[in-house]
Amino acid sequence: MPRSLRVAAVVCGLALLAGACSSSSDSSSSDTTGGDDDATTVGFIYVGPKDDFGYNQAAYEGSEAMAETVDGVELLQAENVPETAESEQVMQDMIDQGAEIIFATSYGHLEFAQNVAERNPDVTFVHQGGLEGDNQLDNVGTYFGTVYEPVYLAGIAAGESTETDTLGYIYAFPIPQTLANINAFTLGAQSVNPDAEVITISTGSWCDPAVQAEAVASLLDQDVDVISQHQDCTKTIIEATEAAGAMTVGYHYDASELAPEGWVTGSEWDWGPLYSDIVETIQAGEFAESDYNGDFRVGLQTGDNPFVQSPFGTMVSEETIALIEEAKQRFIDGGSPFEGVVKNQDGEVVYDEGEQPTYDEVEQMDFFVEGVTGTIG
Amino acid sequence: MTTTQADLVPDPAGEPGATTSSGLTVETAEPASEEPGAHWEPDGEAAEADAEAAHWSEHHLLRAAVRWVLVIGSTIVIYSAFLLAKGADPLAVLRSMWDTALGNPDAIGETLIRSTPLLMAALAAAVPARAGLFNLGGEGQLLMGAIGAFLVANRLDAGAPSVPTLVLMGLGGAAMGFLWAALPALLKVVTRTNEAISSLLLNYIAALVVTWLCFEPWKDPTSLGQAYSRELVDGERFPVIWGARVHAGIFVALVAAVVLWWVLRSTTWGFKLRVVGGNSAAARRAGLAVGGLSIAAIGLGGALAGLGGMIEVAGTEGRLRPDLLVGIGFIGFLASWLGRHDPLKACLAALLLGAIAVGGSGLRITAGLSGGAVNILMALVLITVLGWGPRRTRSAA
Amino acid sequence: MLESILVGAVAGGTCMVYAGLGEVCTERSGVINLGTEGSMLCGALTAYAIGITTGNPWLGVVAGMLAGSALSSVHALLVLERGANQIASGLVVTFLGLGVTALFGQNYVGQGVVPLETWDIPGLSELPFLGPVLFQHDPLTYLAFAAVPLTSWVLWRTRAGLVLRAAGEAPEVLEIYGTSARKVRWITVLVGGAMSGLGGAQLSTAATLNWSEGMTVGRGFVAVALVIFAGWKPLNLALGAYLFAGAIAFQLQLQARGWEISRYLLEALPYLLVLVVLALLSRRRIHGGPATLERVFDH
Repeated sequence: MPRSLRVAAVVCGLALLAGACSSSSDSSSSDTTGGDDDATTVGFIYVGPKDDFGYNQAAYEGSEAMAETVDGVELLQAENVPETAESEQVMQDMIDQGAEIIFATSYGHLEFAQNVAERNPDVTFVHQGGLEGDNQLDNVGTYFGTVYEPVYLAGIAAGESTETDTLGYIYAFPIPQTLANINAFTLGAQSVNPDAEVITISTGSWCDPAVQAEAVASLLDQDVDVISQHQDCTKTIIEATEAAGAMTVGYHYDASELAPEGWVTGSEWDWGPLYSDIVETIQAGEFAESDYNGDFRVGLQTGDNPFVQSPFGTMVSEETIALIEEAKQRFIDGGSPFEGVVKNQDGEVVYDEGEQPTYDEVEQMDFFVEGVTGTIG
Repeated sequence: MTTTQADLVPDPAGEPGATTSSGLTVETAEPASEEPGAHWEPDGEAAEADAEAAHWSEHHLLRAAVRWVLVIGSTIVIYSAFLLAKGADPLAVLRSMWDTALGNPDAIGETLIRSTPLLMAALAAAVPARAGLFNLGGEGQLLMGAIGAFLVANRLDAGAPSVPTLVLMGLGGAAMGFLWAALPALLKVVTRTNEAISSLLLNYIAALVVTWLCFEPWKDPTSLGQAYSRELVDGERFPVIWGARVHAGIFVALVAAVVLWWVLRSTTWGFKLRVVGGNSAAARRAGLAVGGLSIAAIGLGGALAGLGGMIEVAGTEGRLRPDLLVGIGFIGFLASWLGRHDPLKACLAALLLGAIAVGGSGLRITAGLSGGAVNILMALVLITVLGWGPRRTRSAA
Repeated sequence: MLESILVGAVAGGTCMVYAGLGEVCTERSGVINLGTEGSMLCGALTAYAIGITTGNPWLGVVAGMLAGSALSSVHALLVLERGANQIASGLVVTFLGLGVTALFGQNYVGQGVVPLETWDIPGLSELPFLGPVLFQHDPLTYLAFAAVPLTSWVLWRTRAGLVLRAAGEAPEVLEIYGTSARKVRWITVLVGGAMSGLGGAQLSTAATLNWSEGMTVGRGFVAVALVIFAGWKPLNLALGAYLFAGAIAFQLQLQARGWEISRYLLEALPYLLVLVVLALLSRRRIHGGPATLERVFDH
């Protein structure tokens, strides 16, 4: 074969590759900013892809809902922005393209958002899930929901649904949000089923589907029959659980379509209304005086929750739903999933009888409660 | 005498430009298969590597210019074809990439910041490559260097004067990078374990060490839950010299590149490396300690990467983070090849690849594409240079 | 526990068995290809995308093999036609694969795919221990079982295998008999790419039913490491791939059983294991390898 032919063959091969992959790809969304001066340009950065059936998808859909609700908003989106100084550059690029508001949606983006905010006092930054700490800036705020509350409620459903009294929880890294969720899930299950245990597995990655599949198998091996998770991509875990005939408790996003048989319930984010309110507050020039200029937290107590309970599966009985409603009312009335007595894995009391941790304490949680199998270190 | 594998670099018997019985044109994978002690041919890549201006006629310059125009032009055309296949507007994408990477002083600053660890990773690959060895472990060595910098900083007084602090941190980073690189080097010499593979596997382990440090022993007690180390204080950071983030560490990297260039070019040690890279068997016969030189070459590469890790934490990041420097080692390895393992050219190569990497954010924001798509552009540049680049001149016959 | 680990080893190792077998052939003919990682990604995405588009996972698998092969053709072109360095070229090809799949894969993240279903082998799957370990998998896993001895047979018992190995051992002899070593290598690089693509296809359409950017997370590189670890022998290669996946399964099992071992140490285990075995066996292995590659490794 002459060389030119070989080259041609390679080019054809590559064209085939491109063709195969693009055959059904719709044209990518171009959220390019126009020259419209009246519009408020809002930038969103995500740590993962926007279609992950998880955290990032929930935030992405929140941004779209916000843009539909609020007048005169143009969106700038950036997926897969790592939690390193590279994110500073992405945020700065958005500002150079006219962004007046930046939503930094991943936990590890906070410090970089603060750095960029210091250099751009005219731009408002809101961060999802972090705590501002000592670096209080007039143009930075954080917001989050007390997602461990619906996770606790989902734990009730799981504790009632399990037949083996053994639940599984697959997570990525032992960050406080994850630990709080696992603990709330466990306490929720134990509130209706004192024998309930939760086995945890860390995958060491926000998205490694091959390890996820293996983690599901390891949990099933321990007689786990309900699996929940805190990962960015959730599809593999849910489908593997479903295929094994076990039950799924979702997180971040309503993925019940992936588990028609085993879907128990889940905790989803519905960020649209909160995002809209934040943007409208900024548009009105009232950010600095508002609650958003600080560590803004909403929960069942405060109302305006950014989370909702996913639909219940068929295995969840009316009685269970009543128990869930009851617990929910308790939180609305000022209770907390972590109201004492709460003991850690070693049986030591962490929160005394009637004691409640503050939001800040929950968001710095660094232990597993009694009944959890797993090692943080 | 058959050298069908000359492209695997450390082939002992490579005759420049020879066509072997198997019909494969022997590519003189530069500079490793250079005949030991052979004089640089003025027309070949080696001449360019040494860049003796006197030998450069206008003709050569013109030819080099045409070649680069072709390289860049064809790369952009193919890249545009990929973008079109995806349904994106190539002009808009390229425009936004240009704007984010080079469009204004701040953008150029970002490119400089990103290119700095890339340059150090490139040097880490370049030194062993001179001796015909492959260091794919740049990333792990960078990370270990970052750890080394913290090991030193954690032992010094917070109020210690800045310059000696930074010097010691740099030494600490280099030492840790050296030690981490010494592992594959020793395995290579003692058990003949392929150094490319072992250094690559060590990247994964180094990343886990960093993650562990961030979550466990070194977790910042005031981090409010975030998993990272304490922040380096002012005296432990390179001063910002331009704009918001461009720091003095860039000069350290540049000085390292120039010194390395001089060492490789003008010292006996640099010459010995070339001899080993050219023909290790002949080098052995000539009484060179090939094993020792191999360890030294990989070790020096690791030390440079380690210094690069120190520059990254003391310059750009300020902290140790789980996601630190992901992907930098491999891109640096490619930058070394782009620069033909010449430290000065590696600077340009790192700048080019750094600019492409920075351009990725423009691609994300403007076209809504995945930032990873810039890997295509990086690969295309390398493909054209590896396959049709300057070094082809000699064996064109 | 042993049974579960072995089940996990087989389920997780299959994708690396394919990529590794392809790489064995490629390296036996005298070319090392670090582009396996990229070819796996191309195979994973293409199989997933075509599976969704056509609704037929088998069409997807075939397309995935073609995609892996197409990507590896760039390596063949650079190395065999343009004399580029093999290690650098392979890495470049992986970058190309990462980029292409990032660009085109965006639309498929989270999309549902028609899976390659698990086929329980009648009778055999009921066996205690052996049943779950060997006979309750997807068809591509069984095909991998067959591919291991088949590759051995082709390499050592057929004329094609002889020619292939000759290209790696003594290309000048091959030329005397009028066969072009370069041609042979073209074929092995393309076949190796197709095998990597097949491994990727198994990963996305059978093992995980998912596509996400960079989902191979280095398994293609590990496959290349395993080839050397295996002394370029298909059976050893398969054992190595199952060992690596088994180590992952083992550490997850330990976690599920509540063993109090640092999770970071556990996660490093598979890589440490490969590295240590590689180091222990290398001196012995090196002389079993193709002569033309030996010049690289025995430098």
